[in-house]
Amino acid sequence: MNKTVDNKITKKDLTKMSWRYILGSQLNWNYERMMSSGYLYAILPALKKIYGDKPEQYKDMMETHNQFFNTNANFGNLILGIDIAIEEQDGYESKETIVALKTALMGSLAGVGDSLFHVIWGTIFGSIAASLAQQGSSAGVIMWIVANMILMYGRSLLLPLGYRQGVKLVTTLKDKLTSFTNAATVLGITVIGALIPTVVRATVPYVYENQGVELVLQDTVDAIMPGLVPAALVGLTYWMLGRKGLNSTRVIWIILILSIVLRSLNILA
Amino acid sequence: MQLEFFQILLLTIFSFWAINDSLISNTLTQPVIAGFITGLIMGDTTIGLMVGGTLQLMQLGIAAFGGASIPDYFTGAVIGTVFAIISGEGAEFGIGLAVPVSLLMLQLDVVARLGNVFLLHRVDAAIEKMQDKKIPGLVLAGSIFWGLSRALPIFLMLVVGDSVVITITENIPMWLMNGLKTAGGVLPVVGVAILLRYMPTKSYLPYLLIGFFLAAYLNIPMLGISMIGLVASLFVYNSDNNKSVNGQGNVQTATQGTFEGGFDGDE
Repeated sequence: MNKTVDNKITKKDLTKMSWRYILGSQLNWNYERMMSSGYLYAILPALKKIYGDKPEQYKDMMETHNQFFNTNANFGNLILGIDIAIEEQDGYESKETIVALKTALMGSLAGVGDSLFHVIWGTIFGSIAASLAQQGSSAGVIMWIVANMILMYGRSLLLPLGYRQGVKLVTTLKDKLTSFTNAATVLGITVIGALIPTVVRATVPYVYENQGVELVLQDTVDAIMPGLVPAALVGLTYWMLGRKGLNSTRVIWIILILSIVLRSLNILA
Repeated sequence: MQLEFFQILLLTIFSFWAINDSLISNTLTQPVIAGFITGLIMGDTTIGLMVGGTLQLMQLGIAAFGGASIPDYFTGAVIGTVFAIISGEGAEFGIGLAVPVSLLMLQLDVVARLGNVFLLHRVDAAIEKMQDKKIPGLVLAGSIFWGLSRALPIFLMLVVGDSVVITITENIPMWLMNGLKTAGGVLPVVGVAILLRYMPTKSYLPYLLIGFFLAAYLNIPMLGISMIGLVASLFVYNSDNNKSVNGQGNVQTATQGTFEGGFDGDE
């Protein structure tokens, strides 16, 4: 252990690196090594402080941190914090540990991070914003923008948190995250259920006429269950998505063409 | 209505900025937000919200795939909003137009991601020569590729599209116009259905039905239903935590497995 490198990294450095990661983690996203250089960009100030006076080590660590890296960007801040703490403590000797740690953490945090921050977060705020927007209200949009700003600030705190708590944080976090993800999924799925009759605008305009008797088909449908047509359309699309050879792009084209055909036959409007 | 030069300029700058933000706070390229801001620039936020809102619903499920190229609903939202306003045909027409645009722009990401490989190799070279001061600039320069991947097509479509769209709207047959409008109302099913496939819906079916019936029969607004969903999720959170405290097996339910298995939408 190299005593001379201890405590070189200040609180200010940590904040700075956290925001560097938020800014740059994905700007250089590429097919070869994905988020590699974003990580290098963020950790560079720490590398300079820890290895700055040993050019060979400095160069080697820069290369190490420019290798393949891909995780959920929010949790990337946490990994970075843990990494910095270990490198500051053990210096160049920790190189192999760091490589193993980054690989292990990026995989396990990517899955849970993407489902939490992309799917569920996006579903809840996106559903609310979109359904309010369809009624001409911008309230949901404003809510989402504010929520994302708060999320970004929260993300900036993850790096100092990882730095202070180290690896043991990930194990304690994992159990909590699973319950949290389950709970968030419940909220997300409730919202999706409500979306179906709210935002899918489809009715049956067909009117059956026979000897002065007029039957408005939509009234019958509503009597059976409001939102029946949207629910049936969701069911149909759900089924189509499960078919082999039908990906989401093809399904969109099918729905587009189907709508035009059924509209001209006066079955759907 | 004609497009003013300053509007084209603002929209181009906005699209450059927004696509970079999608890699930072992931806010401005959300179709509903992009539609709203485009509406602000064009002077009609209602149409922007309606076009963006519908595309948002289509995107819901698709937002899930990290590296995969997905339909570019952001560009669709900007273009759809602009043309809905200048053609005077309303939001549903804009949506009908935005969907093909989104699908055709699907490959824009690829351009940026390939351009960035070039920058990555410059970073490698900088490390080799120990020019560490060059690294930040090279990494951040990725924003130019990202920015241009949207700003350029949107600029071109706005410059050329003005007259094209007016010609189209004047000559489009009624059945097609009405069909596109119907499609605008129906298309959100795609996003919803993809989400249902992607999420562990089968394990949580009762919650889906609660949400559906509350909205269908009682017409409770979305925010109210979210609050009820929040209460349900608190129950689940507490019972899950108790389970793990009591050591009754792991709470590793369907969530983990289904999410990682995922649904392979686009290739």
